[in-house]
Amino acid sequence: MKILVPLKRVADPDNANKVKVTAGKLDTTGMQWKPNPFDEYAVETALRLTENGASTKVRLGEVIVLTVGPKEAETQLRGALATGADRAIRIDATDDDLDGDVVARAIRAVVEKEKPDLILVGKQAVDGDSNQVGQLLAEYLGWPQATFAGTIKSEGDTALLVGREVDGGTLTLRVTLPAVVSVDLRIVAPTSVSSKHSPTHTYADGVRFAALMAIMAAKKKPMVEFKLSELVSDAAAKIAYTTHELPPPRKAGIKVKDVAELVDKLRNEARVV
Amino acid sequence: MSKVVQAINRYKADLREFEFLLFEQFNLRTDILASDLYEAWGEDEIRTSLAECYRFVKEVTGPLNAIGDAEGCKIVDGRIKTPTGFKNAWNKLYEAGWRGISVKPEFGGAGAPYAIMVMVEELLSGSNTAFAMYPGLCAGAAEVMMHFATDEQKALFVIRMIKGEWGGTMCLTEPSAGSDVGSSRTTARPLGDGTYAIAGTKIYISGGDHDLAENVIHLVLARVDGAPAGTKGLTLFIVPRIRPNAEGLLGEFNDVSVGAIEHKMGINGSATCVVNFGENGQCIGTPVGGDARLNQGMSQMFVMMNGARIAVGIQGVAVASSAYLNALDYAKDRKQGSSIANWKDATAPRVAIIEHADVRRMLIDMKARVEGCRALAIKLAYHQDMAIILKGKDDEASAYHIGQVDLLVPLVKAYSSDQAFRVCETAIQVYGGAGYTRDYPVEQSCRDSKIFSIYEGTNHIQAMDLVGRKLGQRGGANTQAFIGDVAKFVAAHSEHPRIGGAVKQLAAAQEALAGSAMKLLYWFQAGKVQQVPLQANRFLEMMSEVAVGWLLLEQAVIAHTKLPDVAEGHPDHAFYTGKLFAAEYYAHNVLPGVAFKASLLDNENTSAIDIPDAAFATV
Repeated sequence: MKILVPLKRVADPDNANKVKVTAGKLDTTGMQWKPNPFDEYAVETALRLTENGASTKVRLGEVIVLTVGPKEAETQLRGALATGADRAIRIDATDDDLDGDVVARAIRAVVEKEKPDLILVGKQAVDGDSNQVGQLLAEYLGWPQATFAGTIKSEGDTALLVGREVDGGTLTLRVTLPAVVSVDLRIVAPTSVSSKHSPTHTYADGVRFAALMAIMAAKKKPMVEFKLSELVSDAAAKIAYTTHELPPPRKAGIKVKDVAELVDKLRNEARVV
Repeated sequence: MSKVVQAINRYKADLREFEFLLFEQFNLRTDILASDLYEAWGEDEIRTSLAECYRFVKEVTGPLNAIGDAEGCKIVDGRIKTPTGFKNAWNKLYEAGWRGISVKPEFGGAGAPYAIMVMVEELLSGSNTAFAMYPGLCAGAAEVMMHFATDEQKALFVIRMIKGEWGGTMCLTEPSAGSDVGSSRTTARPLGDGTYAIAGTKIYISGGDHDLAENVIHLVLARVDGAPAGTKGLTLFIVPRIRPNAEGLLGEFNDVSVGAIEHKMGINGSATCVVNFGENGQCIGTPVGGDARLNQGMSQMFVMMNGARIAVGIQGVAVASSAYLNALDYAKDRKQGSSIANWKDATAPRVAIIEHADVRRMLIDMKARVEGCRALAIKLAYHQDMAIILKGKDDEASAYHIGQVDLLVPLVKAYSSDQAFRVCETAIQVYGGAGYTRDYPVEQSCRDSKIFSIYEGTNHIQAMDLVGRKLGQRGGANTQAFIGDVAKFVAAHSEHPRIGGAVKQLAAAQEALAGSAMKLLYWFQAGKVQQVPLQANRFLEMMSEVAVGWLLLEQAVIAHTKLPDVAEGHPDHAFYTGKLFAAEYYAHNVLPGVAFKASLLDNENTSAIDIPDAAFATV
């Protein structure tokens, strides 16, 4: 099975320096970057689907990671290669020029070249929380989609049983391949993924570590670059941001004299009772 | 009963520090990575490895630190049971390969420069000192064998120890042979087939047994029957707990048993064992390197000793650094008291304690000491890497670098370990009462760090090594080169626009240090040798302070050059600014003490020696 995993880099939420806004634009100078966690889960899922769990070194399928972004975003691709992905594609672009729609169209162009059996995406990126790319991509490709997957069970190479996390429980869908599946947090629980190669293997919880030797070997794995304009004729984003602003700082608390004042404030200022 | 301890990581590291040392202060890029020895290693690999290793320790070893401390080790049915999770962490560590980062590829490692391994050691030790001891000692034992073992021994033991299939220990200390190793009583009786029957008891053996790997390989110092007394008659033996056959299949029990474990102040997750060899006359060992290497045990040990002493210095930096970063977090968060500017106003707003002058003093003091000691350790590692690279190409330069390694080892071991305990103590003080409780990590850091000044040669042994051996090594050339390096820096920067004044403090300290070095020489020559041990520790501290002050100021010069090109909101702006202040703090608050200490040497006061034993106390 050939699996394509789009991967976005996001500003590390643990950054000591918080995101700033300069003249209505997001200022990312000095930010530390890391892969979007949901995309890491998608990579982990793809690896589990393309290996025999008992012997993770033997590859029984191919995992291609892809990002749309500047040269520095190759660091995140190399990271995915170090955990086991086979090769990487970077579509060169500036973050400011992108929206979910351009990204989906760019990925579609790669899909037409690569013809993967499955596209695994994170359900959303933790920076913009847009939750669009997977759905748009499925629509552009005319492929079936299953979003918010918490479990995936392979049915040979032709279909997947996807347990979708929905309000009130799990909705299981059978999607025929090729398809787009977006994954949620619980997809990296020890037994969430059962591939045809190792239907019953129990994995360590979460995303695997990159072993030192794999980090060293990742350098030698193929990484190709496309220009955005080579892939999409109209690279204009559909969403234009007029401005950005930070949420207002929290006001300091106040002390109230008595219960009566508290009730009064809750009713008339906060309007919560 | 101790309460249930949760698996939470509290280890913190600042990887920007690591990158600064590697790529800005020391020219890893041009001096080391350009060498064909490190073809596989580029900047990317280093950054990714350090980041990934940091992630590993935060998720795997760090969460077990407090658990290991609370649970400790137990003897169950004659075997050591390590704390919950250690076995899993051991497996994951060897799967990930971090312990083998600098091991040569032919032994299954990644062959990274030594400086990178030192940083990986910092991450492992800082996140969980007690756990890191097991793989650390295994690596040390394997390293000795890489140097001296026969090819068969390497194939049988070293490869498996590098993979973590088998553990390893170093067995030197005995009840009557501590700092005085030459008094060892463990014996080896030749059995005529190249093997020896080993009999004796070793104490304070870290990881002397454990349940992390299927076998434990002990390197045991023992005296072959008829060998000379003292250190000259000691041979290093490979003594497996279970005897393997030539293919590595485990066979019979080798009569190696744990008699007891110590109940300690810290590093409780590390089993410190009494190990009995040959209680039933059935313990067999073979000399490392075969019979050709009999009576060479001490010199073989010394190959590992340098590495082990550096590793202890790193342990100090590691634990102290995390204690500092935790205290810093707490100081930013904890509100208590109001600003001194509002001292008359009882209703003034409460402020975070980082706003109080004395807390700031403690924080910058910890910062300067931690970052200075780390710089010294990486400087040493850099010399080590350069010595290897230049070997056979430029022997004179290589000898210079080896000389600096020799000279700096006692400084890194003793000064970093002494400072570690003091930094941890200061960290507790920042927390106040909270720091004294087990709700916060710093009291464990403090208890764990005390051993660093004791094991691998007490810090007094380090001081005696420095003044008795190292200062005069190669006719004093190493010391002169060191002083020369500092002098070059002083000459270049004493008129520096920002830190010129601080550099002048360094110049004064260095002059005082040189004077004290002459004083030591004079004592040797003038028959006042008893002064030497009395002042050796003080001299080591003085020399370390000069070295640390120099390296911190070197950092400040770099930071000063780079600052104008960094936008104010960029994290590097704060980073470089911090470098300037830490160096200035150290130069003005610590370095002047060097001249003062020199004046204490000059006093030649001998009260400590002259006081009669009976006069110490009347009880």
